[in-house]
Amino acid sequence: MYIIGAGRTKFGKLENSLEELAYEAISKSISDSELSIHDIDAIYVANFLGGPLNGQLHLNAMISSLIPGCHLPIIRVETACASSSSALNQAIIALNKFSNILVVGVEKLTGSFLIPPIDAIAMAEDKTIDKDNGLIFPAAYALIAQRYFREYGGTHETLEKISFLNHSNANLNPLAHFYQKKVTMDMIRDSKMASTPLNLFDCSPLSDGAVAMIISNEKQSDRNVRILSSQIASDTISIVERKDITSFKATKIAARRAYEESNLKPTEIGIFEVHDCFTISELIALEDLGLCDKGNGKYLVENDMISINGEYPVNTDGGLKANGHPIGATGLAQIFEIVTQIRGEAGKRQLPDIESGLAQNIGGIGGTSGITILGCL
Amino acid sequence: MYRCDKCEKTWTHPLKACIFCGEELKNEVSEQFSVIGFTEVFIPSIKNETVPYYVFLLEDEHGNKCLKKSYQKFKIGDKFDYGSSNKDNTVFGVIGTGLLGMQICEYLITSGYVTVLKTRDPLAISTIQSKITARLQKSHTLESAKEILKLLVVTTSFSEIKSCDLIIEAVPEKFELKTEVFRELSKICDKKTIFSTNSSSLSISKLATFSDRPDKFIGIHFFNPVKRMDLVEVVVGEKTSEETTNRIVSLLTNLKKKPIIVKDSPGYIVNRLLLPQINEAIIMLEEGIASKEDIDTAVKLGLNHPMGPFQLADYIGLDICLSILEVLDKESTMIKNKPAALLYKMCEEGKLGIKTKEGFYKY
Repeated sequence: MYIIGAGRTKFGKLENSLEELAYEAISKSISDSELSIHDIDAIYVANFLGGPLNGQLHLNAMISSLIPGCHLPIIRVETACASSSSALNQAIIALNKFSNILVVGVEKLTGSFLIPPIDAIAMAEDKTIDKDNGLIFPAAYALIAQRYFREYGGTHETLEKISFLNHSNANLNPLAHFYQKKVTMDMIRDSKMASTPLNLFDCSPLSDGAVAMIISNEKQSDRNVRILSSQIASDTISIVERKDITSFKATKIAARRAYEESNLKPTEIGIFEVHDCFTISELIALEDLGLCDKGNGKYLVENDMISINGEYPVNTDGGLKANGHPIGATGLAQIFEIVTQIRGEAGKRQLPDIESGLAQNIGGIGGTSGITILGCL
Repeated sequence: MYRCDKCEKTWTHPLKACIFCGEELKNEVSEQFSVIGFTEVFIPSIKNETVPYYVFLLEDEHGNKCLKKSYQKFKIGDKFDYGSSNKDNTVFGVIGTGLLGMQICEYLITSGYVTVLKTRDPLAISTIQSKITARLQKSHTLESAKEILKLLVVTTSFSEIKSCDLIIEAVPEKFELKTEVFRELSKICDKKTIFSTNSSSLSISKLATFSDRPDKFIGIHFFNPVKRMDLVEVVVGEKTSEETTNRIVSLLTNLKKKPIIVKDSPGYIVNRLLLPQINEAIIMLEEGIASKEDIDTAVKLGLNHPMGPFQLADYIGLDICLSILEVLDKESTMIKNKPAALLYKMCEEGKLGIKTKEGFYKY
């Protein structure tokens, strides 16, 4: 299985509508491939909040309107913030039946809404157990951070550095939400409190954006990137239903299956895109993905091991924190970065000789985790 | 939590049997929770408009977890009684079974407080209970509505209300009726009991003189519908003590309301601002300045109010509007609030608004 075409929009607070964003990403992925739109025989569309936020559901038919007269089988996939890695996963399974499948993730989080985004996003949590008790998203990750620091030590300074690294990388990525935003350690430390101990710079932004990929069983050019594994695992929707909240079991299980299938060890992988919806989530991802032992993530951060020139480069595109988090497109954006790095087309942030990469895409508070491993072999 | 001992699995939902082995699930009741984590949230969201607030991660003796929102701070390791978010066991008394009395009652028991409701008519007891059950069932399952209803005691005798911590009087807006209630209460109630009135316009200081405890006498003015209107006017009389005021403010905050404090004065804040506006709208209609529809539209779109004055007057009830205006007219020297002739006429004709199916509009 190969990714034979990839395209994305800029991320950020954009003028474009949901439809325009999807159209731009789809068009770019087609022109990036050797195919024309007529060669596509199925589409998977990923989106999280079209219903509650934009008042738009039935997105598969909305995509059909963008390619009039094609009448393709199109299906929408929703697994909260992991929607697009889940859509890719389903598309891969469908390659048994179809030759060239387009996967598009799209999200419109800014503009006018039916309900405030903070409440819409909380729909990824348990309504009764979590939201009705005031546990909005930042608060859930704040509880995780507090438990983590109590059990494994560490301070908010580690999270500040994670935020800083992501912003630095985004400054090398012209498509990133915070491209050219000058961010200092002082700004990060002194930013407004969101939910103790997390402040504004621990949180990813509300971004608009879309990403599209075309996958096929057949390699069609030297720029094609191979999909070595795509795995999805799930967990309880609320953190209160779990024994340990300082680690995401869904990530650990999906990652273990992906390492087995790709026959790669974590330390053999060239680049990592992890789901830093909040900085604490990036710290935990390093441990859940097996880059270090539980509780030692902070040393990887402090010793510059995850910096762009470090041993395990993480979030070279700026991550969710600074590349942006257009929820339904985020998983594909991570994969887009790995594809770009493997192809050697990452411009100023290009790393030498990247042969493989792993993307970790979390839905909700770890209720879903999608792990994708790509390679050039 | 519902547990299958054999499979060592738990569920948060009231399910019957284990899907893995088929055995019946055991309802594991928690005696006490300890705080194992907390966060202070600064971002407002729907139903959490007042920030900051705390969310506590709690764990019971079986290792089961749950969350609890509170405005009060606890430390990790603190013990926590579930069901009361404030560690207080305040018992409320409500007198009066009109619209507001019933709504206040429903709100208190839904918030987890034991509430004694006093009515005059013994035959009304079962009607009241079934009315509240029906209201609760709009947002609760029958099972949980029954649980909530256990917190309600309906009685006809004053003696059952005597040991309540706080009594909210919500009888009709007639001075003599209210003074009679407080005279009775003064005879029988414990010393600790705070008296309060849900009056929307009467003088708290004057009402307080009919009780034996003006220092423990305060106005608590809820708004209709109680469940959705966050504002509560806390009306402080001449002799109301600071301790009483603080206690009420903290109680209301725990009830997830937004209390504001106002000195005893005609109409307090909301009605003093609102009723002259409604009256002026009616006078405008009388003078033929504009149609009622256009006046409503002007206020909605020009002043950004959710309802226009005629819609709101119909909702409040024209008789209530008139009685508040009469109080404002009589009591305040600064502003002129002579009720519009049309308002008197409509009240006389029994066109009182939504409750009589006709006011300024037909329903």
